[in-house]
Amino acid sequence: MEYSNPKIPEGINTSSEHPLKEFFLLSAGVLSLVAVVILILSLLADKLAHHIPYSAEKNISSLKFEQEIKGQPVNQYLSSLTHHIERAIELPDDMKIKLHYVDADTVNAFAFLGGHVVMFRGLMEKLPNENALAMVLAHEIAHIKHRHPIRSLGRGVVIAAALSLVSSSVGSDVMANIMGKTGYVTALKYSRDHETEADDTAIQAMHRLYGHLNGAEDLFHVLEANTKGKPSFEFFSTHPLSEKRIQRIQKAQTNTSPDNITPLPTGYAQWVAKKPESQADKK
Amino acid sequence: MVDIIILLTLLALGYGFGRYAEGRHYRSIIQREEKLQYLVAVSTKIIPPGEQYSQSSLVCGNVVISVDFFKRFLAGLRNIVGGRVMSYESLVDRARREAILRMKQEAEALGAKLVFNVKLETSSISKGGGNSIGSVEVFAYGTALIPHS
Repeated sequence: MEYSNPKIPEGINTSSEHPLKEFFLLSAGVLSLVAVVILILSLLADKLAHHIPYSAEKNISSLKFEQEIKGQPVNQYLSSLTHHIERAIELPDDMKIKLHYVDADTVNAFAFLGGHVVMFRGLMEKLPNENALAMVLAHEIAHIKHRHPIRSLGRGVVIAAALSLVSSSVGSDVMANIMGKTGYVTALKYSRDHETEADDTAIQAMHRLYGHLNGAEDLFHVLEANTKGKPSFEFFSTHPLSEKRIQRIQKAQTNTSPDNITPLPTGYAQWVAKKPESQADKK
Repeated sequence: MVDIIILLTLLALGYGFGRYAEGRHYRSIIQREEKLQYLVAVSTKIIPPGEQYSQSSLVCGNVVISVDFFKRFLAGLRNIVGGRVMSYESLVDRARREAILRMKQEAEALGAKLVFNVKLETSSISKGGGNSIGSVEVFAYGTALIPHS
């Protein structure tokens, strides 16, 4: 008997497919799977966050604000205005707005978990009339009414958690982006849909409160002036562009006589004026 | 973002070096296999009758080949969807052929004409070592028959 080792042709035990082709096919498949999962999770989180009881939301919120200066005329004025808006917006009884006036230059206002609404002096000093101020408050209170803070947080946390399974640094970047920084405290960022929903509710409330929408659009003129110089692409921005928001208000407007605008109370300019001593404190 | 850049860099390095090493290794394997074609290695336990051998000796060849990052990543993606782990096929193929070649080289040095009862053992190094890159070991051994000189 004769033994022999025949020459075995190449490629019997290996595949001839190019490894890069396999790599791109598999990566594309897995990445689109991840994208679909994240999309589903974020939709579910947005829908399910409604069912978190408001009392639980209050416990999540651990915002520590500086001691409020009660009894200041600006606080009294803001809380009475808030009270009117709460009724106009039909805020459920278990929700209570906790208003904070922050003496800082930031041209902003935001709503946070647990019914906190923060108004910055920087925005308030630029507003020309009470209608614009009420529009800010109504917009932020509408966020609270629609449970936007907990919905945003829920969605953001779910997305960040899912992403950190793929890449821990991208996950934490997303988390940092959700908890965007404002001048003072970390605030939540809302999606454009949430902003539009809050605008719509605020417009309704303004109708109920004043019977017209005159002056409300001045808020967006102020915001627009503040972002001048910065490029504004709606696609990249969480807020709808100011122009679009003004158009929405003008659409909803029924009475356009400009003389029924409610002025700000006398002394308002002094209440929200920059205090020299507060400037010294910050240093 | 940083870890994605690191990942892509590692993948590119793994692909570049891995492809280069594999191509070079295959060329060397094919060339040496041709050279050692005359030395027959079989797995049978029966010595072909008729010929007279003066001596027999244990010969063995051993090789460890490391997975590159790119191959491991591909295999990881395969783990999710299933199917042939094509990136490991060439790795194991190279290891088997290299181990047999080394065994044959040892037999050649002894002046053998035949290696019978050839067996292959494989083991993976750093198995279960978490994220460490594993290697495959193939050990080929057999009995070399050395004819009368």
